[in-house]
Amino acid sequence: MNWMAKTRPAGAVPASAAPGKPTPGPVASGAANGNSRVSNGLKEFLWLIGDVPRGRVLDLGPIYQSTLNFFVEKGYRVSSEDILRAWKDFLTAEEERLRTAPVGDGWDKLSPSALAAKFLENALQYQAESFHGVLAWDLFDYFDPEAAPRIVERLSSLVHPGGAVLALFHSRPAERFHRYRIIDKQNVELVPASTIAVHARVFQNRELLDLFSSFRSSKSFVGRDQVREALFVK
Amino acid sequence: MWRKPNEVKPSSQPEIPVPAAVKSEEPKPWAPAAPPQAAPAAKSVPEPRAVAPAPSNVSRISAGLKIQGEISGTADLYIDGDVQGKIRVSSASVTVGPNGRVQAEIDARQISVEGSVQGNLKASERSHFGASSKFAGSVSSPRIGIDDGANLRGKIETVRSASPEKPAKFEASESDNLHPAAVGADSE
Repeated sequence: MNWMAKTRPAGAVPASAAPGKPTPGPVASGAANGNSRVSNGLKEFLWLIGDVPRGRVLDLGPIYQSTLNFFVEKGYRVSSEDILRAWKDFLTAEEERLRTAPVGDGWDKLSPSALAAKFLENALQYQAESFHGVLAWDLFDYFDPEAAPRIVERLSSLVHPGGAVLALFHSRPAERFHRYRIIDKQNVELVPASTIAVHARVFQNRELLDLFSSFRSSKSFVGRDQVREALFVK
Repeated sequence: MWRKPNEVKPSSQPEIPVPAAVKSEEPKPWAPAAPPQAAPAAKSVPEPRAVAPAPSNVSRISAGLKIQGEISGTADLYIDGDVQGKIRVSSASVTVGPNGRVQAEIDARQISVEGSVQGNLKASERSHFGASSKFAGSVSSPRIGIDDGANLRGKIETVRSASPEKPAKFEASESDNLHPAAVGADSE
């Protein structure tokens, strides 16, 4: 099957590897069990990239053993880059540079747009179209309006045609900061973590479509916890 | 009823000699080489974290030492200083201690990281990243262990065999030729 042309009509259930045994349709996403949540977005993401032998996945959160094992056992190759932490370290370094720069040295404070461009000079440095799937988690909720479009643009260049980006968006500022760890093909664990970024914005549907306009299709799941899981296919 | 601590109740049964504990011949679990004692640091240098002495068959690069170049050999290597270049100990293990800062390609049987490493790692058996580790580069290893808190940035590549009994196949990523300085870059 040509995985680049892999699409599913709206409302259709995903095809199963076992003929005659269709997989169940979307379940109530966001139904939490302790710190875990059901993720229909993850299930759909895995279905989209499932046909690629030894595909490459980019995890933009901190790498966890369970997430790594999950993809490795399925034959994927994993790259990891904790973008939020890298952004925080970058901003900290920039503030230190401004603080220690001699007066009149010409090192003016960079604009948000210039900051984002400078950040991307070292972040997300991979070959073009080298990933079949990207796990962006909820990082876009924490980037300012200048940085988020640049990161999406970079991701778009990194994703292979037909590849997918899974992103989570909170409908209201999250009560606490979490990182995400995959438990299984449909469950994600929310790992409480010390806050490294402040919730920057709540995206409206139109804003999401504009942000990911370079992707050819999108699909969303809204959970009971009011978290929107969005899949963008290049 | 109340017995003195060292008094043994007389028994009619003859004493049966208790055999000494027999150690089972289990394969010892792999553990990184124990770190050596940290050398006293100069006032201008941050005090290195205290570590336990290493076994005598481990080569040590202690905190405060800086080496630039290629390191090769067959002995296990414990690094708690600064190393830049290449490390090729394909039949031995390399441990980067919590004070270690390495900017190098590492080719070893086992690799364990507790400090900071920047470069391409290739382990023929396994690699492990501790909670205090900070890594940027690529890792190619049949087995990878990552403790919570490890800070990894880069490519992780492992191949598992189809049969769960067989050890995972080591895949040499010959096409990966990332310069240690090109952190996060992918030239595949």
